[in-house]
Amino acid sequence: MRVKDLGSRSASASVRGLISRWVRGRGPAVPVDRREIPYWQERGWRREGSNAYTGSYQTPYGAFQGWIEQDGSGHLNFFLYSPSNEIRRHSHWTCFQHRSSEWYLVHMGRQPKDVSSGIITIERLITEAYQQ
Amino acid sequence: MKKLSVVVAGTGQIRDVEIQPGTTAGDILAQLSLPDYLLSKGPNEPFFANAESVYDKVKDGEKIFASTKAEVGETALCA
Repeated sequence: MRVKDLGSRSASASVRGLISRWVRGRGPAVPVDRREIPYWQERGWRREGSNAYTGSYQTPYGAFQGWIEQDGSGHLNFFLYSPSNEIRRHSHWTCFQHRSSEWYLVHMGRQPKDVSSGIITIERLITEAYQQ
Repeated sequence: MKKLSVVVAGTGQIRDVEIQPGTTAGDILAQLSLPDYLLSKGPNEPFFANAESVYDKVKDGEKIFASTKAEVGETALCA
């Protein structure tokens, strides 16, 4: 069979890139910095002034509006807005103390040492309430 | 051996550790000097008990959380 020489032409850019990467090998790995931010910040809570936080307790069952304030002695108070019926049926409902409007103070028998740990505790409790 | 990244919830600081089979949550916390903390795989997951082996319950490279012990309510009043 006869072969007809059609001349040469340059390869497309994508083919050239592929060959060039194959010849050079992989480039050096680029380390990606990890974000090191407190949990409350990662969950989108905002600081209000120097001693309060506003945001929501986030669970697989929904986000629940919250408010946290730290009193002068450093004691943290966690509030939940308008608890759902599922939360009201939880065995710890008696630990929710009605304050003003639809806000409830969540009484902590054992105080968390930081805001993030308190948020995690309440998120876990809400999740539990929905799983019961 | 498995590598784990332990996120300290309060600060966001990430501590990398390598664990062997049989390593307990308490071992990790002691190694990281976090005696008053509890480990969990996330906010919606239960805490690991101190004496519980975590090796089989985590994946290599997984991120887990360390948060301080806190409890809603007081046994006498609420539970």
